[in-house]
Amino acid sequence: MIYIDIIKKCEMASLSMRKNILHLAHQAGSNGSHVGPALSIVEIMAVLYLQTININPSNPTWELRDRFLLSKGHGALGYYVAMYEAGMISKEDLYSYEVNGGFFPGQPSKNLSLGIEYSGGSLGMGLSYGAGIAWAAKQKNEKFKVFVLMGDGELNEGSVWESVMFAKHNKLSNLTAIIDKNNMQSDGSSEDIISIDIEALWRSFGWEVSTSDGHNVKQLTEAFKQNNTDNPKVIIANTIKGKGISFMENSKDWHHNRLTDDLYQKALKELEKTGGADDGI
Amino acid sequence: MEFKRTIIRTLSILGQRGAFGYALTEIAKINDEIIALTADLCTTSGLDRFKNAYPERVVNVGIAEQNMIGIAAGMSSLGYIPFATTFANFAALRSCEQMRHFMGYMEENIKIVGFGGGFAMGMFGITHYGIEDIASIRSISNITILSPADGLETAKATIAASQFKGPVYLRLTGVMNHPIVYKEDYEFEIGKAIQLKDGCDIAIFSTGGMVHQSLQAAKQLEDQGISCKVVNVHTIKPIDKVAIYKALDTKLIVTVEEHSIIGGLGSTVAEVLSEIKEKPPQLTIGVSGEYKPAGSYEFMLEQYGLTNNHISEKILEKYREAI
Amino acid sequence: MTNLEKYINTFVETFKIEASETEDLEYQAIPAWDSVGHMTLIAALEETFDIMMDTEDIINFSSFEKGKEIMAKYDVEF
Repeated sequence: MIYIDIIKKCEMASLSMRKNILHLAHQAGSNGSHVGPALSIVEIMAVLYLQTININPSNPTWELRDRFLLSKGHGALGYYVAMYEAGMISKEDLYSYEVNGGFFPGQPSKNLSLGIEYSGGSLGMGLSYGAGIAWAAKQKNEKFKVFVLMGDGELNEGSVWESVMFAKHNKLSNLTAIIDKNNMQSDGSSEDIISIDIEALWRSFGWEVSTSDGHNVKQLTEAFKQNNTDNPKVIIANTIKGKGISFMENSKDWHHNRLTDDLYQKALKELEKTGGADDGI
Repeated sequence: MEFKRTIIRTLSILGQRGAFGYALTEIAKINDEIIALTADLCTTSGLDRFKNAYPERVVNVGIAEQNMIGIAAGMSSLGYIPFATTFANFAALRSCEQMRHFMGYMEENIKIVGFGGGFAMGMFGITHYGIEDIASIRSISNITILSPADGLETAKATIAASQFKGPVYLRLTGVMNHPIVYKEDYEFEIGKAIQLKDGCDIAIFSTGGMVHQSLQAAKQLEDQGISCKVVNVHTIKPIDKVAIYKALDTKLIVTVEEHSIIGGLGSTVAEVLSEIKEKPPQLTIGVSGEYKPAGSYEFMLEQYGLTNNHISEKILEKYREAI
Repeated sequence: MTNLEKYINTFVETFKIEASETEDLEYQAIPAWDSVGHMTLIAALEETFDIMMDTEDIINFSSFEKGKEIMAKYDVEF
């Protein structure tokens, strides 16, 4: 029997996830996809889905499952490929990404039988939903956890902070937010658009704050360890938009774009050479 | 601004978003008070060229639509003419109260540009479809609602909005390579609907990207011996009642919109007709039923029966009942 | 004018550049060839050659050279 270290498993899965992201983005053709935002969350999703969250692939609606909400709905590709790695969805399902009228549109649509908890796409609302679930779970003394993944641009939305205040005030220690801090949003660098000290802000709202290299599986694993305080927790994951493909990294052009035949081949070759995830940023 | 043939074609290829950006850049050349605001959608709004030309006149508020409306209102109080852009759904629903407060109640001279009206955003999915925006804003006093039919009309509507004293919601539909409705320049006046085609059996009132579809549908009906009038309602509010009265002698009034059948153009026309005793029946064609799964723009139009074939079929069926 | 001369001239007029600058020119390589410049170029080419291009071809028209291949689909020979 070969023992595969869980860290190595997540790292290998990250490479496979990146390949699938490219494949699906290419297949999406003229619809285009949000490739950059998916690539930045690969390791976060690998750690969540292969290690951290407590779900049952053969029973996606198990009442005591942990809930994961992709509040940054445009990270859909990164989410779908992780669900596939965890056995939540089939290859056939995965490859129906962006098929007209299908169950896997460009931003996820709630479908509990597929394990999709939340309809994303309109930013700033996922944490409210998550806070509501966490509150209800606490009331009913149910021990599952709630995880909400947001983008750093998403933190521009005032509604996020309404739920941040609510969660702290109501001691929702079963709620964990993760910020995909790739320093970019649709129009470019977040620093140039609305610059905030994310860590200081969350601390000032009274949350437990961890930071991590968002592409380092080991660090992420540590960051996701149990929260033993009364407060909700946030993990600020430092990531790179488009991580893994040199011409996509930190490029606002790859927030949403078409992946042509040529560029697909170029990207794939790169992944095969570099192996995608390295030791981190 | 002069609109020669190549410019008209350029605006059509750009689509309504690009046509808006093009027009705003031209207007900004002659009016220093023009300011563009966006909620992290500068590039998506077609404002890159404007930004390069006038970087100090583009204010990106980040992903914060409600804040954007308030900021625009504050700017206008000092004489600026702000055009604030975001997706139609977010403008009209996420920041609906801000629109009511700052545009309706305080009547600030701001122009909100909602793009992605209808199903233009395709695979971005249901959260990005603007199909209730007109209903949401129409009930608020003092907001003029413009809904251009093509690239040229978008440019003209933008110019008109910039000159108009009062709050405006400019709703953009369609994708790039938007079909041309107006092949040459013409007179655009806020509040005055334009009859594009005359006819006596049926009157079709349409708006935005559906105008082109309606013209095609009318041709198909003509082939069946039915004479159709097609009216472009580029101003949903204030509605041109006279244009509707002129249709009272037809056998059927039809409205076509890429919007819910509740609260949009169809409802507006029905409200006008409700005050009249003798009138033809009305058929309201638009978005109805549940939120269907997402797809490309073309796929969504098919799904909701908003292509010219579907439109002419529905009209024919209703017409046969009516006569 | 030959088709090639007309083609080059359209680039020259649209982007206000010299004929010598056209050969290796690519989309976004110069400020004038941004997205608005691109659509203006397409409209001008359509006018010059009396054609109407598909959306896919408009999007794929990424350079002076690539453009020639695409024009061939509309029976414009160089």
